[in-house]
Amino acid sequence: MTKAGIKLLAAATALPLLMAGAVSAEEIDYGNFDGYTLRVKLIGGAQYEPLYAEIEKWEEMTGAKVDVLSRKNHFELDREIKQDIAAGTLDWCVGSNHTSFAPQYGTIYIDLNGVIPEATLAEFQELALANSTVDGRLVQLPRHSDISNLYYKKSLYADQGNKDRFKEKHGYDLAPPETWDQFKDQAIFFANAPEFFGTQYVGKDEAITGRFYELLIAEGGQLFDENWNPTFNSEAGVRAVQWFKDLYDAKAVPAGVLNYLWDDTGLGFASGTVALNLDWAGWASFFNDPANSKVAGDIGLVRAPVGSGGKRSGWSGSHTFSITETCDNKEAAASFISFLTSHERQMIEARKGLLPTRAKVWDEAIAEFDGAGNEFMVTVFETYSQSMAEDAFTPPLIAPWIEVSNEIWPRLQAAILGEKSPQEALDEAAESAREVMEDAGYL
Amino acid sequence: MAKIEKKLPFWQREGFTPFILLLPAILVLVLVVLLPLLFSLYTSFTGYRLIRPDSLYNFVGFRNYERIFTDWDFWVAFGRTVLFLTIALNLEFLFGLGIALLINRITWGQRTLRTIMMFPMMFSPILVGYQFKFIFNDNIGVLNNALQSLGLSDGAIPWLVDKHLAMGSIIVAEVWMSTSIFAILLLAGLFAMPRDPLEAAKVDGCNPWQVFRHITLPFLMPFAFIAMTIRSLDVARAYDIVDVMTGGGPAGRTELLWTMIARVGYDNSRMGQANAMAYVSILLSIAFTYYFFRKLIAARRYMGGAN
Repeated sequence: MTKAGIKLLAAATALPLLMAGAVSAEEIDYGNFDGYTLRVKLIGGAQYEPLYAEIEKWEEMTGAKVDVLSRKNHFELDREIKQDIAAGTLDWCVGSNHTSFAPQYGTIYIDLNGVIPEATLAEFQELALANSTVDGRLVQLPRHSDISNLYYKKSLYADQGNKDRFKEKHGYDLAPPETWDQFKDQAIFFANAPEFFGTQYVGKDEAITGRFYELLIAEGGQLFDENWNPTFNSEAGVRAVQWFKDLYDAKAVPAGVLNYLWDDTGLGFASGTVALNLDWAGWASFFNDPANSKVAGDIGLVRAPVGSGGKRSGWSGSHTFSITETCDNKEAAASFISFLTSHERQMIEARKGLLPTRAKVWDEAIAEFDGAGNEFMVTVFETYSQSMAEDAFTPPLIAPWIEVSNEIWPRLQAAILGEKSPQEALDEAAESAREVMEDAGYL
Repeated sequence: MAKIEKKLPFWQREGFTPFILLLPAILVLVLVVLLPLLFSLYTSFTGYRLIRPDSLYNFVGFRNYERIFTDWDFWVAFGRTVLFLTIALNLEFLFGLGIALLINRITWGQRTLRTIMMFPMMFSPILVGYQFKFIFNDNIGVLNNALQSLGLSDGAIPWLVDKHLAMGSIIVAEVWMSTSIFAILLLAGLFAMPRDPLEAAKVDGCNPWQVFRHITLPFLMPFAFIAMTIRSLDVARAYDIVDVMTGGGPAGRTELLWTMIARVGYDNSRMGQANAMAYVSILLSIAFTYYFFRKLIAARRYMGGAN
């Protein structure tokens, strides 16, 4: 038998074994809700859908039916939920939620402490649960987490010509960036607009506020002081804005980045025309799949860089599930979200590169990638596991966060485009943010 | 006789009949239009936030309006909406007129062409937005690629970012989608046009330009003003295309009234303030409608029609 034949045989025998493992672990009792219809509103999108294919299994086990009322991206879902609150039509049970959005919704969702068994909660990462807690209430059960690390095109760094020219220009060796300054140097060095760009960033909405926020922290700044006075118009804040502006002015990023969101940056890197890409793990398997990506097999990954404040950027959050206070069968709802965040279900998402919130799933996913010889995904999971453990921080978990963000990002754009100086833009944003915080009763 | 008439209940009396017949329509209008309008007018005087239903009773007087009147960004968006409306309507009128005149001249395949002409109207504005977002993308967009292949440009033109180009790009999308409304209404005008004055003018030795300028155009103007009234209401609440293409950005460069109102009302949940903005912006629509109706009446009077 050839080596390949043995490998194939091993893989073929391993698969049923793994499945047997899954079946045995599935002996959790999800209860019996015969004839009940559970009404749910879920986040939609390519990366979220594979999990929903599993819903049938829960229906079979419990005898209940699931009626998916909407399946939209989170910004649209957010609007819909706000309308439901206003109209008093919270006549559904389970909704997708997100750690950044949850504080806005007040008390429409129940506290899951006591509803989900303690033993189950103990299997989740502590940090993920802490971030899901608002005013002492666990209003959501984390599904998967999100943090960004730096992907790069490996061949650019192996090229001797690049190494020599870079050393000559910047005085240090060309290696994947360890600091945000190196990130900027290298992005500008590799750029050759309009054919090739050093990097890309998301340029609008909460996306750019988040990027600014994590860079601000890395630079040693803070959004607010301990009394909720906005303090992001500090020197650290100006340095953070300057980073975006310098790349824009040097044409190291496409001129259109200010309209870009996550799909644009991800697809841009996959198109092979971008050197460095700070992004979440959800793209990893896509980037390394030759059917979708021109950089497949040529991708390196390092942890997000360190700022001049000595901290790594690590803006993080979790996609979650919540149960409404008005739900008519909270037991069924709890069973449903336990099922969707169970070990087996998280493995399904982990295989796609989504970061699990259960500690054990990390280990098993890494072992599985390792067993399949998928070194790239092993690196991805090891890198992201480290940054989730050491670098992760969320935006302030306060109700007016999105509103504060809406005051910040148009000003960041104005500074990047040169309509205002970074200091002016941040001063203006801080003043408006103060008004928002005053209206919300924080000041 | 008089005695019997007195005994009739009031709703059976002759004087009431028109009101009773109109009652269903009046009821529907009150329920569907008037009540929501009054409710939103009331909320514009409150600090109503979508996520806090109890804030509906938090009366703040004119605070929302005071904020708007001192908010420079709002007035910039207001001015930009007026400019957007003016340019888009004029371009749509000119192109629509051109298309209508051309289609009116052909005798074979006219119906097919009329149908094809209406295709852009059949797309949802959101789809049109995505289509033009892709065309105008600076990196992978069709337009930049075409310009570069033809050697007309060697850089990536930031269509959706540049101060002037961004608004221009949105106007192009809007004009593409809605020119056919003008074309179809003006074409209807051309079909209804009497032949006699045209023939009389030719006999009198008018050249084609004079015929167009003094007979065709005045005859078409009432149709044009009806189209403009309808379209001005549409464009003044432009939202879908702008939201998809630029979201009002970057740095508020393409912010129109309704992208701003939607952000304040939904993303920031400040429905009270958003409703106040909406009421101020309605003034704009009323002003345009009034202006076009005046023009319409003047144009009809010029043609010797009813006043």
